[in-house]
Amino acid sequence: MLAVLKKEFKTYFITPVGYIFMGLFLLIAGITFVTGNVFSMSEDYANGTLSGLILVFVLAIPLLTMRIYTEEQRQKTEQLLMTAPIPTWQVVLGKFLAASLLFGMTLLVTVIFPILLSFHGRMEWPVIIGSYIGFFLLGCAFTSIGVFVSSLTDSQASAAIITLFLVLITWMIDFISGYMPQSNLSGIIFALVLALFLGLMVYNSSRNLTVSGLVLLAGLLVTGAILLINKEVFTSLITKSLNWFSLTSRFYNFPRGILKLSDLVYYLSFCGFFIYLTSRKIEKKRWS
Amino acid sequence: MIKAENLTKSYGRHLAVDNISFSIEKGEVIGFLGPNGAGKSTTMNMMCGCLAPSEGRITINGIDIMDEPEETRKYVGYLPEQPPLYFEMTVTEYLKFVGELKRVPKKQIKEDIDRIVNLVKIADVKDRLIRNLSKGYKQRVGIAQALMGNPPILVLDEPSVGLDPKQIIEIRNLINELKKDHTLIISSHILPEISAVCDRVLIINKGNIVASDTPENLSKRLTGSNKVYLRIKGEESAVRDALSSVAGAEHISVSPCQEEEALDVTVEAEGDEDIREKVFFALSGGKLPLLQMRPMEMSLEDIFLNLTTVEENA
Repeated sequence: MLAVLKKEFKTYFITPVGYIFMGLFLLIAGITFVTGNVFSMSEDYANGTLSGLILVFVLAIPLLTMRIYTEEQRQKTEQLLMTAPIPTWQVVLGKFLAASLLFGMTLLVTVIFPILLSFHGRMEWPVIIGSYIGFFLLGCAFTSIGVFVSSLTDSQASAAIITLFLVLITWMIDFISGYMPQSNLSGIIFALVLALFLGLMVYNSSRNLTVSGLVLLAGLLVTGAILLINKEVFTSLITKSLNWFSLTSRFYNFPRGILKLSDLVYYLSFCGFFIYLTSRKIEKKRWS
Repeated sequence: MIKAENLTKSYGRHLAVDNISFSIEKGEVIGFLGPNGAGKSTTMNMMCGCLAPSEGRITINGIDIMDEPEETRKYVGYLPEQPPLYFEMTVTEYLKFVGELKRVPKKQIKEDIDRIVNLVKIADVKDRLIRNLSKGYKQRVGIAQALMGNPPILVLDEPSVGLDPKQIIEIRNLINELKKDHTLIISSHILPEISAVCDRVLIINKGNIVASDTPENLSKRLTGSNKVYLRIKGEESAVRDALSSVAGAEHISVSPCQEEEALDVTVEAEGDEDIREKVFFALSGGKLPLLQMRPMEMSLEDIFLNLTTVEENA
């Protein structure tokens, strides 16, 4: 794993990708800082400047991950990784960590901004540190999506575009969720669709009709049981679930200085899930 | 050392490898021979754990490679058909990465690199970017990669494809060098390479093993009759008359040749009988000057064509 991490990290600086990412990110962060804090004489770094940067790295993360697996497939170096005496998930983890490390390093450079500000005003350090942690975790989650997408295709351009699209969608969930129907009925339908989807997914991976039927039945039973016990659960269920899934809505806890364990676990398991998906995708090639 | 039992691989409906079994002993040099798409690369990919067999199993030192993939992969160095090179690295950087990837201890990595660059003769380019190397050097870096960590088994898929004749000879010498301490499995459709270095040849066609023997035995087995090639100066009818008087000569075929007033003739004898002397006297009796005569051994190429076409007719 360490070997892959080192190699990927080095590759960022052998190829122009690392410099482009760092340069662009720091340039825009600098502009935001100068306009948002210096010219407007504001002390509000965490909520103003840092939160404003989310959009920038929504756009920049695809740059970081687009070549991470596509190049292996294009140059046929994948076979080297697949025949190496290490499990696939470690290879994927190494690649993910390399991208996260570069991203984290870039983020660390921007710490200079609040330090500069601290000479001229009173900084709320817990808030700023919290924001940085949140920012980093959010970036990791986006990176894990990017790594997964790059394992799906052997073209860098399509990997970048699809990643951008997915990351934008997760970012937009916050706006979309507000427009979802709020009634009990819609909640019930949503639960049923979810159960059906789960059943189909089980069928797709196991090709076993009985097991997937049982999963579907269990889903229906749970929905029915909750309907009898506590109807309130279904009120605006769609909005609630979308918000729970939203990567960014959780992020806004961090600039408030709230470091919740559940948020931390959410982000880490999000990354873990996508790393798992990626290694399954790679493993699948052995069986094609 | 390596054993394949009832190995089958299908891609959807297409059967790439069809129920083949073979076993390879320690220290052997095995050649996989077959036309493109015969299933050589698929078989090799399965041996290296890159592909999972649809059916059957492969064991290395008695361990099923699907049960303990990480453990068994340590024994095998693999050069795929297209060498897996990172073009943006230098040769040394690349070999170092491969060493780390294969979990070779740090100290040994340095020793391995020093030893291997000299063995495969890439010491003079070791600090250059792989992108800028010629095809022959790239191929050798690919072999160097397989050698990292000194695995007892080497699987080389078409090590000499796309190289010029001088480079092919160099690769062949290298393989002869590697023979000393490795079990080698080489695939190729460049036949002299296989017969020059291999102890045993497996001929694969359409996912099946058509033949498995030493190159010499294969040649003997398939020649069967004794063929002689002749170049004779004279008229076709006179040549035919003279040769048909030779006892045991069959299948006389005559074709024009580049030399003026001369003919290319092949004569096949019944059984193992050597008819060269009789042919000489018959021709000298007919006052037909003999310009060339040599016994025709079936080359591996002929065997190969013979076997694969026989397979097609069946």
